[in-house]
Amino acid sequence: MTTKTLPPVAPAASRGNRKQARRNTLIGWTFILPNFLGFLAFTLIPVLAAFALSFMEWTSFTAPKWVGLANFQRMLASDTFWVALRNTVAYALGHVPLTMALALLLAMLLNRKLKGIGFFRVAIFFPYITSLVAVAVVWNMLFSPDSGPINQFLHSIGIAEAPGWTSSSDWAMPAVIITSVWRDMGYYMVLYLAGLQAIPNELYEAAEVDGASAWQRFWNVTIPSLRPTTFFVVVMLTVSSFKVFDLIVVMTNGGPGRSTTVLSQLIYQEGIGEGKFGYSSAISLVLFLIVLTVTVLQFKIQQRRER
Amino acid sequence: MKRTTLAAIALAVTAGLGLTGCAGAAGPAEPQGQDGKTRLTVSVWNYEGTPEFKALFDAYEAANPKVDIEPVDILADDYPQKVTTMLAGGDTTDVLTMKNVIDYSRYANNGQLQEINSVVDKVGKDNLAGSDAFDINGKYFAAPYRQDFWLLYYNKDLFKAAGIDDPKDLTWEKYTELAKKLSTEAGGKKVYGTYHHIWRSTVQAIAAAQNHADQNSGDYSFMKDQYNTTLDLQKSGATLDFGTAKSQKTSYRTMFESGQAAMMPMGTWYIAGILQAKKDGKTNVNWGLAPLPQKDSNGEVSTFGSPTAFAVNKNASHSDEAKKFIEWAAGEEGAKAISKIGVVPALQNDAITAEYFKLDGMPTDELSKKAFTPDETALEMPVSDKSAATDKVLNQEHDLIMVGERSVTDGLAEMGKRVKSEVLGQ
Repeated sequence: MTTKTLPPVAPAASRGNRKQARRNTLIGWTFILPNFLGFLAFTLIPVLAAFALSFMEWTSFTAPKWVGLANFQRMLASDTFWVALRNTVAYALGHVPLTMALALLLAMLLNRKLKGIGFFRVAIFFPYITSLVAVAVVWNMLFSPDSGPINQFLHSIGIAEAPGWTSSSDWAMPAVIITSVWRDMGYYMVLYLAGLQAIPNELYEAAEVDGASAWQRFWNVTIPSLRPTTFFVVVMLTVSSFKVFDLIVVMTNGGPGRSTTVLSQLIYQEGIGEGKFGYSSAISLVLFLIVLTVTVLQFKIQQRRER
Repeated sequence: MKRTTLAAIALAVTAGLGLTGCAGAAGPAEPQGQDGKTRLTVSVWNYEGTPEFKALFDAYEAANPKVDIEPVDILADDYPQKVTTMLAGGDTTDVLTMKNVIDYSRYANNGQLQEINSVVDKVGKDNLAGSDAFDINGKYFAAPYRQDFWLLYYNKDLFKAAGIDDPKDLTWEKYTELAKKLSTEAGGKKVYGTYHHIWRSTVQAIAAAQNHADQNSGDYSFMKDQYNTTLDLQKSGATLDFGTAKSQKTSYRTMFESGQAAMMPMGTWYIAGILQAKKDGKTNVNWGLAPLPQKDSNGEVSTFGSPTAFAVNKNASHSDEAKKFIEWAAGEEGAKAISKIGVVPALQNDAITAEYFKLDGMPTDELSKKAFTPDETALEMPVSDKSAATDKVLNQEHDLIMVGERSVTDGLAEMGKRVKSEVLGQ
């Protein structure tokens, strides 16, 4: 008989727990409330409004007008949109792998106990904290087709037909990519450096005992151990590549012609420049979806690898 | 207890933030200041670096002691975007300065400006250079107070050294010849015969003005000769190469003031700049003005320019005072006030021109004075809702022709094709 009756304390306790839990949640909410209100007012609501605007026509003077999918139809029919999309992808394909490879290389070079190593680490990190406008202006001068040091160097080693860099539509994108890789690699080097230092030394020792060469150790110990870092680096780099704006605006402003026009710049030109806020919201929605898809894909791949 | 207190503080802070946010958006400006003066607000760009505004405001306040002008200073590059945002938010700034006619047509056509025909009539539209640009079906929503147009700056010393007479009655052919003759290289210092700045107007607006063509038309064959002339100058080394000028962000002022270019087609706004640079001892260039080179040698001078104007905001707090100010600024008094600092007023008559050439440091020869009275000044870009979009395409294709990636014929054909499909919707 006694076993059949449930102890009367349990429900009361759980009710009390629940009450306590709700209290805790509420208090938690009040702590993040000030920050969240700012986020709500200046980020979340504008983002949602932009999604809604992409189905409307709005010049900011009059009330928005619902136009359905017209903005998207216009976008798909627009030559400039495809040019910008192609350029954005080209930039990402150049920027992501190059920055990753160089950042890893530098991290391995600088991951040793050496006198004055701190100096080199700082030197390589420095571009990242330098003003982007200054970086862009100085690199523009370096890339100058006639008087720039880069082409003068190329001439001196016997290359007669040096590229026109930012004044040529074939070479403007490589010039922008080189500059952005130079700027970003220091930051990702620091991330890789942290990853490298977290790899237990025993793994290398064991591999050495098994007779693994330096290359085999790199390929079978370093690379797999760095997988979480690499994943983070790839996601961050991809997102930042698709969002690239400032560097391109200062260096080439999308030129020559449309050879370096990217999506985020097109959004700015159409929206802020020409007052077509609906159309530019539509482009930004597409950019958002692209970045979202790429990131989700990367997460999926990472999950499969971990299994 | 403690938790509740913390939560209460958090709430209080949030509420406080919200309240201050509300308090920030103040109500309409008071009609009168504490000292009984009317506070007239005027939107301007780069107040420190654009002395015409201070010159106008100081002179107006001196003549009207009951008015206190308060400039609303906006970053020059952001000016159109900022004004758009202000207007969309129902801002009550009284007078809005129209930086260019394209923005003007956007504001006026969206009903953001008050009609001011009475003001324009009082000043007299026939005397106001560039007032046609503001005529929208017989209604004026702004009155120009300043009119810049393009002419040719030249370095008298370099001309003398080369034994060449002052550049009178130039056609583009003769101009090219002169530019090639004036290009020298001595002791590692290169002097270019001329300098063409990278703006598309340097080629396209000149071609449009001298061929009476429309830059929104979608047919750009009229620009062919002008592009050939410019590319020829570049190829022969008589002007700085476009790619270099662009990647180095070459300053046209430096090119002329340091004597690296013997001639330079440029707008009249640069007169004030050059006068100031000479006054500050930054340059000792011995300069003169000549009319812009022409397509034909019939003695007629046609050039292009763009007016700057004042308009009254639809939501202005002081509409009547705003109109009074514009009438004064566009009129004789305003013209005199800005002439004094080397800015070309829209109101043109002999007295004002004479006053203008009395400025300390202005060249006084006849050719310079003649340069100041072109027979015809076309608008840099037509007033149309298509102009902003066309401008973007023309800029991009201009780049490609100038860096030599497209031949002139292909480039102009592409320009037409893109404007037709992207802007005109054909």
